[in-house]
Amino acid sequence: MAAIQLAKKAVNLPPTCRTLASGVPAASYVNLNVRDTAGHGHGHGHGVGPRSDAPARWAGGVSASSSAGLVSKSFANVPSTGVFQKRLIHSTVPAKIEPQVPDFSHYEAKSESTNRGVAYMMIGGMGLLSASVAKSTVTEFLATMAASADVLAMAKIEVELATIPEGKNVILKWRGKPVFIRHRTQDEIQEARQTPWKTLRDPQRDEDRTKKPEWLVMLGVCTHLGCVPIGEAGDFGGWFCPCHGSHYDISGRIRKGPAPTNLEVPVHDFDEVNNLLVIG
Amino acid sequence: MGALANSFYNAIVKRNSVYVTTIFTGAFAFGVGFDTAITSFWDTWNKGKQWKDIRAKYVEAADS
Repeated sequence: MAAIQLAKKAVNLPPTCRTLASGVPAASYVNLNVRDTAGHGHGHGHGVGPRSDAPARWAGGVSASSSAGLVSKSFANVPSTGVFQKRLIHSTVPAKIEPQVPDFSHYEAKSESTNRGVAYMMIGGMGLLSASVAKSTVTEFLATMAASADVLAMAKIEVELATIPEGKNVILKWRGKPVFIRHRTQDEIQEARQTPWKTLRDPQRDEDRTKKPEWLVMLGVCTHLGCVPIGEAGDFGGWFCPCHGSHYDISGRIRKGPAPTNLEVPVHDFDEVNNLLVIG
Repeated sequence: MGALANSFYNAIVKRNSVYVTTIFTGAFAFGVGFDTAITSFWDTWNKGKQWKDIRAKYVEAADS
């Protein structure tokens, strides 16, 4: 740590004065009287030569100035006024006369309307992206609940229609249940279509139960208590349930017995190109 | 620029209902467009590698 150094500098201070009651400044030990210097060269009774009491040049003297007239100077060394006190440490924050406000004009918007438009554009764009992200999140989350592709593939069966001759039944297993496929003859189709369906227990047209009239696809589960009906049996030339005696016609509609509804038709489709029936 | 921003503000932003509707419609359109763009980019990037690109070779071979 640097030692405190006492710097010395010589200054010239004006002499301390006080004011007399008469308004005349009075300075002790300072001679303000203008006195004639020695040897001014005119005889009026005193001798020629420097006066013995004339002050030396270094102590001041009188000189004539063109601007200020007659000037009397006394050079004096006087102590400085007051108590000279060194402040070695101070921790006060310098008080600011006025708060320092930076110049913000550089940051201000050039055009108020452009600024507003850009701001709303940004807000809208953010909202647009957020809405997309939210929608995508919900959709993807719901998609995880859906069956995967391999499960969906296992949930379908394909039947080659060429292997089923006309007038024959085929029973397949689909999702753990039997499925009846009947390749109906023209007589059976006519019989199924001409039946007065409006008076049946579960009124349904044959056209609504089949996609192609010659192919009848049904779940082989009796709607009464879930037995498997027997094909080509019963009073109506269709199916007959041996458990409680429900009779279904050639369109799978309930005609007689305890079953409340027709045999269910599963979702199925025909692949025309490969002559396939796709169930599921 | 200022005129464009003003017309944008007056047409869309001024009524909040219009603003929100525009955002949702835009989000829908953006989703569709984004999907289409990404899918087409994917198909371009993987040209000749996907089943739909090479199916013709194998199906013909099976038939013949």
